Amino acid sequence: MIFLLSTTIMMGTPLLFGALAEVIAERTGMMVTAIEGIFLMGAWAGFVGGYLSGSLTLGFLSAMLAGLLVAALYGWICIYLKQHQVVTGVAINLLAVGLCSFLYRVIFGVPITPLTVNPLATIPIPLLSDIPLLGPILFNQTILTYIIYLLAPLSYFMLYKTSIGLTIRSAGENPEAVDVAGINVLRVRFLTVLLAGVMGGVAGAFYSIGFLGMFTTNIIGGRGWIAFAICFLGNWNPKGAVIGTLAFGFAEAIAIYMQSTGNSALFPNELFIALPYIMTIVLTVSRKSFSVPAKLGVPYVKEN
Amino acid sequence: METAFFELRGISKYFAKVIANQDVSFSIQRGEVLALLGENGAGKSTIMKILYGLYKADEGKLFKDGKEIKIDSPKEAMELGISMIQQHFSLVPAHTVTENIILGNVKGIIEQKLLGEEIKRLAKLYGFELNPDDYIRDLAVGVQQKVEILKALYQKTNLLIMDEPTAVLTPQEAENLMGFVKDFTAQGNSVIFITHKLKEVMSVADRIIVMRAGRVYGDIKRAETNELELSKLMIGRDLNWVNKDERQESLDQEVRLELQQVTLQEKTGVPALKDISLTLHKGEILGIAGVSGNGQQELCEIVCGALLPTKGRVLLDGEDITERKIRDRIDLGIGYVPADRSSDGMIMDMSIAENMLLKSSYDKKWQKRGFIDKQKLNQYALQEIRDYSIKAPSPETIARGLSGGNQQKVVLAREVDNGEKVIVFDQPTRGLDLGAVNHIHQVILKERAKGKSILLVSTELSEIFALSDRIAILYKGEIQGVFNSAELTTEKIGLLMAGFREGEVSNDAG
Repeated sequence: MIFLLSTTIMMGTPLLFGALAEVIAERTGMMVTAIEGIFLMGAWAGFVGGYLSGSLTLGFLSAMLAGLLVAALYGWICIYLKQHQVVTGVAINLLAVGLCSFLYRVIFGVPITPLTVNPLATIPIPLLSDIPLLGPILFNQTILTYIIYLLAPLSYFMLYKTSIGLTIRSAGENPEAVDVAGINVLRVRFLTVLLAGVMGGVAGAFYSIGFLGMFTTNIIGGRGWIAFAICFLGNWNPKGAVIGTLAFGFAEAIAIYMQSTGNSALFPNELFIALPYIMTIVLTVSRKSFSVPAKLGVPYVKEN
Repeated sequence: METAFFELRGISKYFAKVIANQDVSFSIQRGEVLALLGENGAGKSTIMKILYGLYKADEGKLFKDGKEIKIDSPKEAMELGISMIQQHFSLVPAHTVTENIILGNVKGIIEQKLLGEEIKRLAKLYGFELNPDDYIRDLAVGVQQKVEILKALYQKTNLLIMDEPTAVLTPQEAENLMGFVKDFTAQGNSVIFITHKLKEVMSVADRIIVMRAGRVYGDIKRAETNELELSKLMIGRDLNWVNKDERQESLDQEVRLELQQVTLQEKTGVPALKDISLTLHKGEILGIAGVSGNGQQELCEIVCGALLPTKGRVLLDGEDITERKIRDRIDLGIGYVPADRSSDGMIMDMSIAENMLLKSSYDKKWQKRGFIDKQKLNQYALQEIRDYSIKAPSPETIARGLSGGNQQKVVLAREVDNGEKVIVFDQPTRGLDLGAVNHIHQVILKERAKGKSILLVSTELSEIFALSDRIAILYKGEIQGVFNSAELTTEKIGLLMAGFREGEVSNDAG
């Protein structure tokens, strides 16, 4: 049980990185549909940076840079060129798949055994990790999990209690009001998309160098989209995102647990791997009311 | 003459094809109420958006207290003490009054309580009743406007620009607003308001700038002019106004359309329409007055079949059509000119001819061997273009390229043909210039003369009074009363629109 729950927290970490990134950007009206591609390029750059330098820190930094670049491309096309957000995102995601496998081969050729790095180690926090039950679940995790413990409440505070948050929320509800208040709507949107890129890059790198220690082109396998869906299910609120993340993290943990214990005779393993995706569909359909940002997905064009 | 507070000198602004402003010069003094009068499209809003930094002028200079200034963004305008309230409010419906007022004005951590109290104090100072924690989406339009004004006051505005501020208000709310304008300017502040309503100009302005086709055609003190002179300056020619006297008396008293106790329950449980009973006779115009958003659109959509009532019946010539589909009703001869032509009335990226066929595309008359008979359609559209004097080069012209007035004429032409018995007009002249308004009014009266029954929804009282035989007032989805138009005064109708009942009204107004 403890294994299941601590794995839930571990697998939830990158999802929450992605979901919070998505919440912040979508509140300004930007559906970051390139999130899957950002995750993937983050995973790739994290691995390449980490493998070549031998430092996971440099790996994560390169992942952040890669996420930033993909997000900048997406933001530039959608915000400044005012192209369709979904179409652009899909195009960028497809580009990312091709680009990362191409660049991987350019750098490493086709290695016979997959290249590996040592993934992030868990850091038990003194005292806290000794608490029975909660300790091993919550406080024997990697550094990324501890960062997200801080980021989640911070993003909530930022969105609802600060002027920056008010600007962000207003930009997605009525960008004209923001414009009239003398704030540059396009810049607000672009900056949040860049932030989403950095956070998404870290999330992607979690899968390559934070957890598996290797890179494959299908390493993300739709988890960017799951982060996208969590934002949706969490009603564009960091609190909701946390709850949604726990649900999906748990589903992933079950899949990992079943795989590791070899209980696949009872249930086909594939079913558990599919579980998070099935959950996405079920939860998305079952949720009744949403408070969608009014101008989500709508480019801001000044009249004339 | 003392130095002007603000001055515009030789401002010109060109958009891709049109000249929006040409060589516009005028000034405003401290403590002055300036009216910017002109038809829609005369360039009033554009020139003010230039002063507010939303647009950049192509030529000309701006001055404050005699010194040249540059205003490249609303932020810079606000720093100079200029605020502008847009025609369509720039409020965030999902946020509170406080959040809306402080947007862009407060940095760092937001102290909701403290700011709320500050706003309450400010509101009290000007006699506004407001709860800072209310959500904008729950407030009436008149109150929303107060939030906009407070936003400006919060920024310590000295020059307040208001774009068509009374368009959405009841006559009483408008009067309150004018009271505020007087208080505000008495303290040495200035107000510019953009309008096309002559009455308003004469009641509150100190000086009037008349604009037409992007230029200034008059800069006159209120005391030295009159409505007739202003209207001539504004339009540039004499208009042949529709007069009540020109109308023939309604001859036919036979009932054509009847609504029996129609109720429409919204999903949230609040009735959008409550127990509405109305009769519409042959050759009659029934005006529906009310502040917008009180159930007008729902009423129209129930008549044309887009919405089905939760309770009650709709009868056409005595036949129950409550359950009939929209298409059946089109075939039965019910036409509908919706309020929002761009989203509900036409498809902007299609041609005039295609838009003409929109609601009868299934009709065999347009087909030839299973395909659209282009030639016949174009001929028909061409005829309509001539009949309605739509300014367009050909039936193939894309609707988006037409002016608002000409787009509306396209919808009108189609619906007048569809509506052989009943035509529903929802705000048929909103946002149009006087020439187009006049034309549309004449069309409506002509159709009435043919014996058609007309349901006319409008928030412009002058329009309701000019055209209607009888007037019903809608408030929060209920009929406040049905009157012959001669029975009503502006004041009485204003009170009814604000929710007072007939009994309460006749005592103090009547």
